[in-house]
Amino acid sequence: MPFFQRTLPLIVAFLAGIIGIFTYYIPVAHTVEVETSTWYRIIAAFAMFLGIHSLLHMHWYRIRRQQAGWGYSLITYAGFTVAIILAIYNNGQGFLSPMATGTGLDLNWMYVNIHVAGGATMFSLLAFFIASAAYRTFRARSTEAVILLLAAIFVMLGRVPIGAYLSDFVPEFAQWLMDVPNLAARRGILLGVSLGAIATALRIIFGIERSYLGEEGN
Amino acid sequence: MERLLNIDRRIVYLAIFLGVCLPYLFSFVELPVTITADVRRIYDKIDSLEEGATVMVSFDYGPSSKPELQPMALAILRHCFSKNVKVVGVTLVTEGVGLANSAMETAAAEFDREYGRDYSFLGFKAGGAILVLNLGQDLQGTFKADLKGTSTSEMEVTRNIHSLKDFDYVIDLAAGFPGIEEWIAYGQERYRFTFGAGCTAVMAPDFYPFLQSGQLNGLIGGLAGAAEYETLIGRKAKAMGGMQAQSVAHLIIIAFILLGNAVYFLTRSPRKTSP
Repeated sequence: MPFFQRTLPLIVAFLAGIIGIFTYYIPVAHTVEVETSTWYRIIAAFAMFLGIHSLLHMHWYRIRRQQAGWGYSLITYAGFTVAIILAIYNNGQGFLSPMATGTGLDLNWMYVNIHVAGGATMFSLLAFFIASAAYRTFRARSTEAVILLLAAIFVMLGRVPIGAYLSDFVPEFAQWLMDVPNLAARRGILLGVSLGAIATALRIIFGIERSYLGEEGN
Repeated sequence: MERLLNIDRRIVYLAIFLGVCLPYLFSFVELPVTITADVRRIYDKIDSLEEGATVMVSFDYGPSSKPELQPMALAILRHCFSKNVKVVGVTLVTEGVGLANSAMETAAAEFDREYGRDYSFLGFKAGGAILVLNLGQDLQGTFKADLKGTSTSEMEVTRNIHSLKDFDYVIDLAAGFPGIEEWIAYGQERYRFTFGAGCTAVMAPDFYPFLQSGQLNGLIGGLAGAAEYETLIGRKAKAMGGMQAQSVAHLIIIAFILLGNAVYFLTRSPRKTSP
């Protein structure tokens, strides 16, 4: 069925892209923009079901094959099941009522006591890894590396109060590094990335880039 | 020397652990907080709003960024409520609902603000960047009801808000995608409202071009930025409390970098010179 596998997706991509561009620049097409953006959000909501299916399928595969770390997949299933049950129970109000927030046995309880605590812990571990990695790998092997190292030290000191405690020059110099060299580099990167994104979008709209169909681009 | 170069990583971890924990137990010195112009502009904007003005705050972060962004959110909300400025909250990320709700309830309770009259939390809807576009097109159509199921067209705080441009100020507190860039591209650029932002420290350098272009009127970066805001509103809370720990942790990391380089150059074999 090459029409459904290839031609139809190309037509949909072309129309969606063209409508997206024109409704942005033509004010009279405002109503069309409202409609299409609402469609987008509905599709995005349905994409969540696809994500859930993909997650559960992958972990079921790992459990069935008893691959390394399959116990963690069991925990994923347990967490998912408990979260669904709590969301449906919704502190006795049922899933059609607005979400109960912090009033008892509801999804918020699980969120505060497991999700928030676990998420914050994972992020805080970064400090340990950064310290260890910086000690092992941050070497002043070249002129560029020396400049990078000095800039890093000034910004690290200048962005916390200890920098101002040592000297007023430290936060001022750190701010200059952010305002001038950092800004110039970021602007260059942003322009490059944006031009690349425009080129890629045009390639997709006109069917030149077809990797999203599982094909190599021509 | 070679052993020092291959130091057990647990020693590094222990140094960081002690460097973060001890300042919370023993305050060693009062550290000065330098107020940057980027943070002051957000403070000045909120401070200049008249009583009854309405601010939108988008809480686009989850639990992993809570230590940096929640103190920032609380400081901004406290400033708004202390000035009798109304606040409408929203989030573009599913994980943000609980944190946003908690921050708004905490700050509102401190200033005896009433839900629906002084503040409201719309909650989450799928769509990310496109949700921002929809909020600009028709806010009450996009969120027909808030998180508690109250109609946005009936609530006092949202009754006269039809689009993002009806807000006196919009602030996004973000830790990734969708976040500040999406609010600029689909919100600020389309509907021309004054826009400020807060983000994690590691993201802050990315947004300096938007500050210079005027698309962002101010930027609060990381826990240090939150501490600056707490200093400005004259209420020291978690961000200020974390400044000593963060300062010590930064000093330890710098010390390890310098030590690592010193050991590396001392143990490096001398360059061979040609005969």
